[in-house]
Amino acid sequence: MVSLSQRMRKLQHKLIAIRLGPGALVLPKDVKRIHMRFGEKINGGHMGPRKFWRHELIRLKYHNPAVPMTVDRIREEAQTPESEAIMSVHFASADARQTSSSATSSPASTDSTTTATTPSDADPTERVETINMKNKTNSEILQQLTQLTKAYPIEPTEGDKEELRLLEEQRVRSERDSKMYAEHRARMKREREIFEQGRNDLAAQTA
Amino acid sequence: MALPSRYCPSCLSSLRPTRTALAFRPSPFLAQHQQPPQQKRHATGLPSARAAMFRSKNKDKEGAARRKKKARAHYTQPDLKQALQFSLVDAMRYLRAAEVGRPPTSAKYELHIRLRTVKNGPVVRNRMRLPHPIDTTTRIAVICPPDSKIAKDALAAGAQVVGEESIFEAVKEGRIEFDRCLCHTDSLPKLSKAGVARILGPRQLMPSAKTNTVVKDVGAAVKGMVGASEYREREGVVRMGVGQLGFGPEEVQKNIAAFVGAVKRDIGALADRVSKGVHEIVLSSTNGPGLSLNGEVRGEGSVDTRDVSVVN
Repeated sequence: MVSLSQRMRKLQHKLIAIRLGPGALVLPKDVKRIHMRFGEKINGGHMGPRKFWRHELIRLKYHNPAVPMTVDRIREEAQTPESEAIMSVHFASADARQTSSSATSSPASTDSTTTATTPSDADPTERVETINMKNKTNSEILQQLTQLTKAYPIEPTEGDKEELRLLEEQRVRSERDSKMYAEHRARMKREREIFEQGRNDLAAQTA
Repeated sequence: MALPSRYCPSCLSSLRPTRTALAFRPSPFLAQHQQPPQQKRHATGLPSARAAMFRSKNKDKEGAARRKKKARAHYTQPDLKQALQFSLVDAMRYLRAAEVGRPPTSAKYELHIRLRTVKNGPVVRNRMRLPHPIDTTTRIAVICPPDSKIAKDALAAGAQVVGEESIFEAVKEGRIEFDRCLCHTDSLPKLSKAGVARILGPRQLMPSAKTNTVVKDVGAAVKGMVGASEYREREGVVRMGVGQLGFGPEEVQKNIAAFVGAVKRDIGALADRVSKGVHEIVLSSTNGPGLSLNGEVRGEGSVDTRDVSVVN
C-alpha cells in the first residue's frame, strides 16, 4: 500500500483544488438554486458548460453547501445542433428574502430525482435568470455568473498559503531528487553493460 | 583486460564524476568481478564453464539477498498522527462538492475500514442491514420445493424467484434474473447435483453454508436480505457503501456506526482464531477523494449540519 505521506500529499492537492481556484465564490444569500442544462456530447458548443461543471461548479458548491446545484444533461440521442445550453439561477423574491432570515440553512424543497426542472415550471416566488452557455468557455460562464449574482471571491487564508508553499517546495524537491537519481541509475546501468560486454568478449576470445 | 573498441574513452572517463551529491559507489557485484576473469582462465582452462559458474553463483547470491528481506506477516499500520483527519460534516462537505451535479441516486458514500490484521488467515465477511438501506431493489432467488409452505414464506418475505428445477434450467440457459441466491437446507443435495455451481460460483451467487445462504428459515433470511449489503475484508480493508449522496449527516452517521459495530462484532467472533482491530476509517464517495475520519461529527469551523443535508 502507498505510504501515508504520499497518500496525504495527494489528498492535500485534491482538497486544495476543491477549495481554491476559479469558481471559489460565495454567493449572496438570495441565490436559491443553480441549474445547468447542456448536452452529453461537446459538439455544438457544449464543451464550456461541461468544463464549468467539472471544475468551477465543484468549488462553487464547496463554498455554498446549502445551495442546490443540479446538472441535467441532454441525452446523446436527443441532442441536436440546436440543443440549448443554459444555466438558470433562481433568486429568492424580495418578500421571501425578508421572511427567511438565514437563507443558507433553508432546506430545498425541490425533489432530487427530477433534475429535469426547466425554468418555466419554477416556483412562482422565485425570480429566475438564465445564462446562455452555448459556445462559451468555462471562464466566460463564470464571469457572467459572477456579474449576475454579484458573488464575491474567496481569498486563500494564511493557512492555505502556507500549505501551498509547502506543497510547491515539496514539488521542487522531488523534481530535483528524481532527476538526480535518474542520472545515478543511468550511470550504474552503463557500467554494468560495459562490464557484461567485457566479460562476453573475453569468453569469445578464449573459446 | 583489453576494453572493447566500441567504447569511446571519453564515455568511460565520465563514469566517475564527483560533482553529484549521490556519490557513485561501485556495487559489490561490480567490485568483486572487475579483474578476476583473466586469472581464473589460466587457472582452470575452462573459461566458459567458469563464467557460467560465476553467473549462477551470482544469481544465487542475489536470490539469497532477496530472501533475507522477510515478507511482513501483517499489513502495515502507518502512524495516523501524520494523517489529515476530518470530522464527518467536513468530509461530507468535500465529498458533496466533488459529486456536484451527479444523479443523487447513482453517487454513493463509501466507508473503508482498515484493520490491524495478519495477511493470511480468516477474514471478516458478513452481511448486514443498515438502519438506512441504500439499495432496496435486490432481487432474490430461493431454491426450495415450489408450491410448498417454504416457497410461500419466501415469496411473502419478498423473494422474486422460487423453485428448484425451474431456476436450474433458467441458470443453465444463462438467464440469471437475481442478485442473491438462497437455498433451503433440504434442497441442497438437488442443488449440488444440478451442476449450476460452475455458473453461479464465479458470480458469487452459489449458496453455501459458509456465506449463510443455506438456511432453514427461508422467510426470515429473505427478510434480512432485502435491503441488506454484503461486506468482506480484502487486503486488510473492509469496504461497503454506507449511503446515498442525498443522505444527511445523521443518517450517514447512523449507518457508519452500525457498520463499524457489525465489523467489530465479526472481529469478536473471530477472536479465538485471529486477533484483529480497527485501525482507520475512511469515508469516500463514487467520484470523490478518500478522507480519514477522526470520529467526531462536527469539528471547529464546520458548516451547519443542515447545510450538508440539502438535497444536491
